[in-house]
Amino acid sequence: MYRNLSIHQKHIVWAWAFLAVPILFYVVIRFYPTANAMIISFQDWNLLGDRVWTGLENYDKLWNDPVFWKVFRNTFIYLLLGTPVSLVVSFIIAFHLDRLRFMHGFIRMLYFLPFMTSAVAMAWVWRWFYQPVPIGLFNNFLATVGIPQIPFLRSTSLALPAILAPAVWAGLGFQVIIFMAGLRAIPRSYYEAARIDGVSGWTILWEITIPLLKPTIVFIVVFSSIGFLRIFDHVYNMTTTDPGGPLNATKPLVLMIYQTAFTDFNMGYAAAQTVVLFLILLIVSLVQLRLFRDR
Amino acid sequence: MANLSLRQLIKRFDKTEVLHGISLDVEDGEFIVLVGPSGCGKSTTLRLIAGLEELTSGEIRIQDTVVNHLEPKDRNIAMVFQNYAIYPHMTVRRNIGFGLRTSKLSKVEKKARLEEVAAILDMTELLDRRPSQLSGGQRQRVAIGRAMVRDPAVFLFDEPLSNLDAQLRTQMRLEIKKLHQRVGNTIIFVTHDQVEAMTMADRIVIMKDGHILQVGTPSEVYHLPANTFVAQFIGAPSMNMLPARVSQGGVKLASGTVLDIDVPSTQDRNVILGVRPDDLHLTNDSALLEGPVTVREPLGAETLIYVDTGGDEVIAKVDGRHPPVVGQHVKLTASTEELHVFDARTGTAVI
Repeated sequence: MYRNLSIHQKHIVWAWAFLAVPILFYVVIRFYPTANAMIISFQDWNLLGDRVWTGLENYDKLWNDPVFWKVFRNTFIYLLLGTPVSLVVSFIIAFHLDRLRFMHGFIRMLYFLPFMTSAVAMAWVWRWFYQPVPIGLFNNFLATVGIPQIPFLRSTSLALPAILAPAVWAGLGFQVIIFMAGLRAIPRSYYEAARIDGVSGWTILWEITIPLLKPTIVFIVVFSSIGFLRIFDHVYNMTTTDPGGPLNATKPLVLMIYQTAFTDFNMGYAAAQTVVLFLILLIVSLVQLRLFRDR
Repeated sequence: MANLSLRQLIKRFDKTEVLHGISLDVEDGEFIVLVGPSGCGKSTTLRLIAGLEELTSGEIRIQDTVVNHLEPKDRNIAMVFQNYAIYPHMTVRRNIGFGLRTSKLSKVEKKARLEEVAAILDMTELLDRRPSQLSGGQRQRVAIGRAMVRDPAVFLFDEPLSNLDAQLRTQMRLEIKKLHQRVGNTIIFVTHDQVEAMTMADRIVIMKDGHILQVGTPSEVYHLPANTFVAQFIGAPSMNMLPARVSQGGVKLASGTVLDIDVPSTQDRNVILGVRPDDLHLTNDSALLEGPVTVREPLGAETLIYVDTGGDEVIAKVDGRHPPVVGQHVKLTASTEELHVFDARTGTAVI
């Protein structure tokens, strides 16, 4: 029977043969649980007992939960602070690294190293940096130059940026590599033509380099936004004694979901939060793609 | 007055010397074509003039100013690149206007200048388009327009036609030549295509391995090539090259034929006899060369025949209506004025 198919049909048969495995995998491991989570978000379930249909009760509870709104704000602070900072810093590094010939490979490796490091290990090292005297590196340094202690992880206002810093640093290497690839793709003659026209370096940067890097920038913005919206392991590991503390000052949505589900065993409520996170991710990505779309 | 003058240009990249002393004077308004195989240093020469590469030693003057240490923008030049270097995210208007960014003209004057250039290049209605909406030839014109608004002393073209298809190339070749006749600026044009060089240039500069081999009008380099390289590089199909020997005022071919050419030589020496396929004719009388036809290439008006003359294959261009058939024994001749004699060892022309 296979023999009688046209070449095109044979291609299709083989394509489906290879696609079948990942599709099956995705249906069982991804799509089914996703759909299930959406159903659970309308139910009350403690993982062992019966699932009780409760309608919109979980969402109503969420809407009236002050902790959720605090967490919601935190999540967006991670996003709105982390994405632009990491974008600008990685661009500046890539822009200069691109021109550097001396030890280029080694320096690039240094920037990429944090990306390959386990987030848990990194979080614990940074946690140590942030400790008070006589343990913490930063405070020890401040003490020797006579500056008062900074309660990095114990302050409700400083803890979030203190956790964000290593998270930005961890993703930097990847973004630098992507930016450098983007920079390399711009033909040299564009810059040579601009040199002959005699425009300033600033004009070249703003009117040639950055517009031509737009696809790269879109990719990095969307990619890192998703990363910051899903931030979890850095927060969890740097505030292990009181995850998301102090006073929920650093708690992101994913951590709240984790606690609701696996500390409180309130699956319905956790599922409702998950649905909200899903919607946030969806909306943010769509808005960004639309904003950056080519006219 | 020389508009552009190059004196003993030497360029090294690290330890490799790629230009070994290039000297050239270009008159105001001349159309100069630098031609040669890839790696001959023609593009490097152009980039040195533009100031995109730094000179190792030598001197470049543009309008009697030494520009060795001037930035490209201060050299009064404009350049058209092989890939056009027009910015995809800007409209044609902004692309052309980019060339005027640093000019001291007022806004109104800049606008007038831009409109004028657009009119000359016949693309006024394209000004608000983006490069992606243009054809290859139109993009080419935008790149030229961008160079033109600067009204430079010297235009530099770096293989601008090599990205176009054959038909468009012929058309743009003509357009650039017409443009030159109209605006009259000095043009330095780099190409590897000898047809482009022949058709466009006032003078051709033939380069090889970082040396200039010959400078001359298209007619000079065609009829009086300075050496075997120029002789074979210019003209298609290439000139036939036959080993021969000079003895007692005559030239003796390998086949035994003795030609009555006066070679200024005191003693016997090996030479190369060059004859263009166009200059070989079929004959019934005493032949310069003879042998069976091995291949025919009909071109319409003419037919190229490959003749096996006993070891050497010779190409001749014959009338396309009644060409000899393959296998036919033909006799070929050429008038002595059309023959070129080169030294066998150095390749330089003897007469």
